[in-house]
Amino acid sequence: MDKREQMLQKINEISFTVNDLTLYLDTHPTDANALTAFSQAANERKNLLEAYAKEFEPLTINCVCPDTNNQTGSHTSYPGKKHFTWVDGPIPWDNQGGVL
Amino acid sequence: MWTYEKRLQFPVNIKTPCPKTAQLIISQFGGPDGELAASMRYLSQRYSMPCKEIGGLLTDIGTEELAHLEIICAMIFQLTKNLTPEQAKTAGFDAYYIDHTTALWPQAAGGIPFNACEFQSKGDAITDLHEDLAAEQKARTTYENLLRVIDNPEVKEPLRFLREREVVHYQRFGEALEHVKARLDSKNFYYFNPEFDKQFLK
Repeated sequence: MDKREQMLQKINEISFTVNDLTLYLDTHPTDANALTAFSQAANERKNLLEAYAKEFEPLTINCVCPDTNNQTGSHTSYPGKKHFTWVDGPIPWDNQGGVL
Repeated sequence: MWTYEKRLQFPVNIKTPCPKTAQLIISQFGGPDGELAASMRYLSQRYSMPCKEIGGLLTDIGTEELAHLEIICAMIFQLTKNLTPEQAKTAGFDAYYIDHTTALWPQAAGGIPFNACEFQSKGDAITDLHEDLAAEQKARTTYENLLRVIDNPEVKEPLRFLREREVVHYQRFGEALEHVKARLDSKNFYYFNPEFDKQFLK
């Protein structure tokens, strides 16, 4: 697994924790343990998303920052040029970028 | 409102195309108990749900179901990549190919197009939550049916994940039903419909 896949795997795992805790807290909004776990996971997820967006493509529109995104120039059609980095990265349902 | 995150909730990496498998899995996209039906069901019911926490739950689960239909579509996309005309003629997939080539279009494995008759949004909190409990069980059974007949582990992994999420959603809807019942007349839950008979709400 290369670095991009490794970081994405961590983001998937921590995001799943956040998703699952979200549903649990929807029906148990005052559960203290769940609230602590949620804060920790949400914070870690935020940090991982920011770190990922510096080296690779931004995963959310909030992470889009054309000046600092994708410093490794991975999966981009505009290497070295300032551009809208939201278009970088492979399309999520396919590892390739299309054929045209 | 909705935002989009450029990753799948669970990774899909299928290396060998198989149009026959794609034709079976498509039921979890556009079929009666599939993820599109689930998300439209919950996202429709949420507006009139009288408990705002349950409206919130319906929103969050409905949103997760959209992420699930994306996983199913990713699987179908990868299973039908680079098909030869010979593969396109595979029994079961051939009719779909004629009308859609290898595009994604919501229908059931048997061919019935997705339609709103496949879910209900009844405007009664007890009724709607029972609909939702049933929906999660129907989805679970569908995933189990698929897991029995599909051999490729690259396909089975995401299906197992999706099946487990159905079981968790069922739990959450059970809790939501108790939450709603606690706010109704404990001697007769059916005494009034909290979504319509406003004169009984204090």
